[in-house]
Order: sequence, then C-alpha cells, then structure tokens
Amino acid sequence: MVNTGALSRLPSPALPPHICSGCEFGPHKRVRKYDIGITSGNKQFYFPKYMTTAPFLEQHASLAAGKRRYLHSISSIYSTEQMRRQMKQHYLDVLHSCLQSGNCVKAFGRAVHALARLGDELWLDPLAKGLALRSVNSAHSAYSCFLFSPLFFHKYNLRSATEKSAEAIKCKLLMKSILPLFRLPSIERTVERFEISIEEDLVKMKFFCKHGIVKTHNLRFQESDALQAVFSSHLCPNVLKAPAKLLSDMVMHFPVSQEEITLSISAAKVSLRNYFERGNGHMKLMHTEMSLHPDEFHYFQVGVDSDITFCLKELRGLLTFAESHCLPVSVYFGAAGKPVCFSIEDMVLEATVVLATLMETESRAPSQHTATPLNTTTSRCEVEAPQDRSGVEQVASSQGSPILAPRLSLYPSQIDLPCGQGDPIRTHAPSPAPSLVCSLLFKALSQAEDAALDPKVLVGVSDEEDVMEEEPQSPPL
Amino acid sequence: MKFRGKIIDVACLNHFTRVITTISKLTKVSVLRLTPDNLFFILSEKVANGGVSMWCELAQGNFFDEFQMEGVTADDNEICLEVAPESLSRALKTLQNAKALKIKLTKKHCPCLTISADLPTLSSVSRVVTHDVPVDIIPRKLWHEFKEPHMPDFDVSIYLPPLKTIKNVVDRMKNLSNFLVLEANMSGQMNLKIETDLVSVTTHFKDLGNPPWGDEGSQRDCEAMAQARLDIRKLQQFLTGQQVNPTKALCNLVHHSLVHLILLHEDVSLQYFIPAVA
Repeated sequence: MVNTGALSRLPSPALPPHICSGCEFGPHKRVRKYDIGITSGNKQFYFPKYMTTAPFLEQHASLAAGKRRYLHSISSIYSTEQMRRQMKQHYLDVLHSCLQSGNCVKAFGRAVHALARLGDELWLDPLAKGLALRSVNSAHSAYSCFLFSPLFFHKYNLRSATEKSAEAIKCKLLMKSILPLFRLPSIERTVERFEISIEEDLVKMKFFCKHGIVKTHNLRFQESDALQAVFSSHLCPNVLKAPAKLLSDMVMHFPVSQEEITLSISAAKVSLRNYFERGNGHMKLMHTEMSLHPDEFHYFQVGVDSDITFCLKELRGLLTFAESHCLPVSVYFGAAGKPVCFSIEDMVLEATVVLATLMETESRAPSQHTATPLNTTTSRCEVEAPQDRSGVEQVASSQGSPILAPRLSLYPSQIDLPCGQGDPIRTHAPSPAPSLVCSLLFKALSQAEDAALDPKVLVGVSDEEDVMEEEPQSPPL
Repeated sequence: MKFRGKIIDVACLNHFTRVITTISKLTKVSVLRLTPDNLFFILSEKVANGGVSMWCELAQGNFFDEFQMEGVTADDNEICLEVAPESLSRALKTLQNAKALKIKLTKKHCPCLTISADLPTLSSVSRVVTHDVPVDIIPRKLWHEFKEPHMPDFDVSIYLPPLKTIKNVVDRMKNLSNFLVLEANMSGQMNLKIETDLVSVTTHFKDLGNPPWGDEGSQRDCEAMAQARLDIRKLQQFLTGQQVNPTKALCNLVHHSLVHLILLHEDVSLQYFIPAVA
C-alpha cells in the first residue's frame, strides 16, 4: 500500500520531469506486492517492478535503483499541468509524424489562393490562437479570414507580448508576391516541409523541397493595423449548414463569369438564381435557377424569409477549399442588406468569408456597371447604430464561429484600412463611434493573447477558453 | 409554336452535349431549325463569318425520348430560332448526371429555351435546376437563307486522314503562316502546304482513299491535284472543335474555290464549307 501522506511531503526534485513522462501513478491505485521494497525512516515503500527496468530510466545509467524509485515517487506528485504539456507535445509529435507535411503546405496554399480571389493584399497575424490570414476586397464589401491553430503546425512559436512592445506583429503583404509561391498542383509534390517566420521587417518563408533543395523567400511587409470584420453570427435569424459538396455543386451550375447570385430562403426550400442588373444586356443572358430542399442540409433554420444577393466570385475560393477538405459550410444571414457569413471549421483551422449583400429597395442606376458591383452596396449599406455596445468589448477572433463570437456587428464600410505609412484612414466613417470600436478591437486582441497562456485542452477539438462576458452565447450547431 | 423534348438516357444526353459543344466551338451564334424529325444547326454564309458556313443535322429520334413540336403553321411545320450554342452547351454540361432533362420553348422575359433537369440527391426530394437560354425567333421570310446547302460540283473528293493528325500539323503550321494550301487528287493523296519567304513546308498524306460518288471520278485525271488556298485559322477552328472521332470524314475540293468538309457520325452529320482565298 502506498502511503499517500508520506509521498506528498517529499520535496520536489530539481531534475526535469521528462524522465517519468507518461506514467502517472496516482496514489489511489493499488500496488501489488513486489519483491522490491525499501524503507525510509520507518515507512515502507513498494514500487512496481517495471520501474526498475524502465527504458527512460536507463538513460541515466548512474542512477541506482533507489534513486530511480525516488524519482518515480516524485512523478506521482508532480504538477499535472506540466504533465499535460508533455503529453500534448508527445501527441503532436505522433500526429505530425503520421501526417505528411505536404498536406499542411497544400492547405496553406489553398487558403492563400482562396484569399487571393478576394483582395490584393494579405494580412498575416500571428496570434496566440494561431496564425490568421486575412484579406479584404477593394470595395470593402468582402472579408475573409483563415485561422490556422497552433495544432496545425508542428512547431508554433510566438514570442510573448512581454518581450517586445505590447503590440503584436501585424504585417500586410502584397498578394501577388505570395501567390506565386504556392502553385497548387506542384506544391504538394515537391515541398516536404514549410517554415514561416516573421522577423523585424521580413516575412521569411522557407520551403524544404525534395532533393535537398531549400527555397527561402524574404518578403518585406508593411506594418499595418490588424484588419477585422465583426459579425454577429449568432444573431442571424437564418442559419444553414450544408455538407461539403452541396454548395460547390450548386455554384458549379453558374458560369464562372457570373458576378452575383441571389439566395432565397423560405420554410419550404432554398433557391439560388443568378442576378442581373436592370438595364440593357440582361435580356440576352442565360438565367439559371435551382432549388434545394431543407432535407439536404445538416442544419436548416429559417427565421425570416429573405432574398439576399451577394458576389459569387469571392465565395468560390472558400467553397473550393471546403470541398477539398470535405468540411461542411455554415451560412449565417438575415434580411437583404445585412451581411452574410460563410464559415468552415475543423480541428486545426477555421475559415470565414463575410460578404455584404444588396439592399432590397436599392435601384441601380443603369450607368453603374458590374465591374465592381458592390461598390454601390457598400456606400449605401446601412450602418447599425452602435448604441447596444458596451464600453470595452472583448473580441474573440476573426472566425465568427457561432459558439465563440460575441454579439458584434459588421461595418463593411468601416474596416480600418491604413495606407502607406500606417496612418489609419477612416473609410466611410460617418461617426466617430465605430472608429472607437475599431481601435478597441486591437487592444482587446493583445489582452486576449496574455490571457491565453494556460495550456490548451489536449484533444483536437479546439475548445477555446475565450474570456466572454455578459454576452449571450448562441446555441451550438 | 410549341416545342418540348425530353432526354432520359444518360448516354444520349452525353452525346447531345458533345455535339452542342462542338458546334459552340465553331460559331458563336447559330440558327436552330426544328422539324418533326430532325434538328439542324445552321450557320449561313455571311461576310461577317468570313464566308464559312455550317450545316449540322441530328435525327431527333436518336437523342430524345419524347419530342413534340408544332411549327409556325400547319404548312410550315418548322421552328427557326437563333441561339448561342455556348449557352446551351454550358447549361447541358453541368447537368450530365440528371435523371431526366427537358427542353422547352417558353416565353419568359423573352423567348427562351428552358432546360430543366432533376438532379439526384441524397435526400428523397430531387433537386431541380432550370436554365433559361434566350433565343430569337426567325421570321418565315428569312427561312430561305437556311436551306440545306447543295453538294458543290467538286473536282476531287477524298477521305481525310485522322483528324488529330491534321490538327497537329495545322497547329504547327499556324505559327509560320496565315494561309495554307490544301490539295488532293483522286489517287488518295493529299498535301498540306505553307509557303513563306523563308520557308515552305509540305505534309504529304498517301493512300487515303476516295469515296465512290459515281461516274464523276472517271472523267478526271487521277493524278491531277485540285487545290484551294485557305485561311489557316478557319481550318484550325474547325479541327479544334472536334471532340469525337467521326465514322467517316470526307473532303470535297473545288479547285481554287471551296473546301467542303463532311463528318459523319452514327446519328449526326456535320458539313462545313470554307471558301478559298486568292
């Protein structure tokens, strides 16, 4: 019988605990009788025989049997947090040795391609929650974010905020300098490992390819404020969760040149049709319409019958990504004019695309052509008065996933985009209040980083321990 | 004027789609003529096309399970529409796995060919996809432009070598010159020639065989070559569009005047006329 009391009074050792990793020997477990017993003082300790011959103890040949047993006794009282960290690292090592590194590069490359469809610039944000890649289109009517959690990477090192200045690194890169690095068909065949690091003013990307070739790309970035669209996905009355291929099968019926489509939802069905501006020309174009039954969706919630019109081109990137990873796509939207959010998530990554939609009562002037159709949308999109916001809001992340996102609103026209030297220039900001919110977002980000130092739960579901306050949480899908 | 057709068989749908895709590669706008037994895709000779014309005939029974049409009047029991084959092709390509495909002539915002299909899904209810392809109705007074072309009074008629081979040759030749001379004789020999200041290239084909049209062949000297100088891009456009190997491929040459290409499949025949340039 192991005497718990005596064990707990033993002092903690100076030796690293890795010797005993993986062998939690809780005091509540019964020890069978062994031929090895030692006495210390007037207490009797019995230890299982395997401990004397454990391979991890053999590394230290100079240890006598007694010392080994002592170490074993220490392990049972050592901090479980440290144990968890080691077990997690062991798990990750196993995981990464099973996964081919090529897959990671492919997913990363696909994410970059999906973002490239949206805008000309890529924002890279290393956060404690993971590496976020974001992009916004020039009309500020579409926003996309791909968040790769640390589990996605073999090693994820984020220098803590206390070491450098309080601001995390926010870098902005030109899409046309990143996109050619990830040529999709060839990248998974030739690249075995991929490293990305952000230093003083450089983003360094190293591709370790076959035959010992190492390609290093140094890209200078512009320091710029983080970009974020805030979106209250759990306030949306209409929620759909579509299996992986469903939406891409649907959009396949529309020509690649189709700019905008209209999604209509009612209790009986969901239908998609292409959208044409009024005016000449629309008579001559092919009209396509299709409808889906609610049964085809994993989850179907219709709060308000609505027709929303949004830009299809910007969405295709995400749908291709979802299809290649076989992930279901969640859609959150409301009435026309309110933005629509498409999101996918799995263990190691989350991706979101938020698109502005056309207002119902809008009548387009025929001279405005579909080159950038949503320009007009943006300027006419109603700004929600921020009266319902509390002073400081903690922002979860850019994912907008329903479980995590607090109640936030989308201001597509007020995304804070600095240009040039980093002076923030407010775009379409009718009142100072939204800009105040934007800057609060950044502060909140850095606070959240500090808070996230406690170890993550081991298992793959990224159960994030966000600090959420009074906001009500949406029901999980 | 009414038209309804239904295709159920997957292979028929596939074949139909391929025919329409071929037509879409040959021309942007085509005339579709519907009769109770056939469908015709017609491109009439116009300066805008560069003088090429096309005539494609499909027997409706080979594709459609149901085919009902009512022409303009009982006497003129035909429908003539102007349509963009590319839209049709695009609509059909995405519906390849449909359980049933229906084509109808309808009037929505404008006269349309409505293609609707039921797609199989995992749930019990099948998905309905509808494409509306806008068309223009051609009035009867213009119908005379779209009659079947007469077989030209050719000098040489010869079977073509495999289309892929000619296509490869013509693709390479296009880089060198804009004009190509096609010549052939009644002994089964055909040459493709280009000539520039720097270089001249000729590709010879032998033992091609000549189709037996009757007694016209005997009046000609078998070795005499009939030739026609063509714009190479038109020939290339014709060859690029071909997706299926035809059962028979012929070429009729009128010396210095016209090249008439005929492709015969089991249920489709395609005739293409390329005029010679000086």
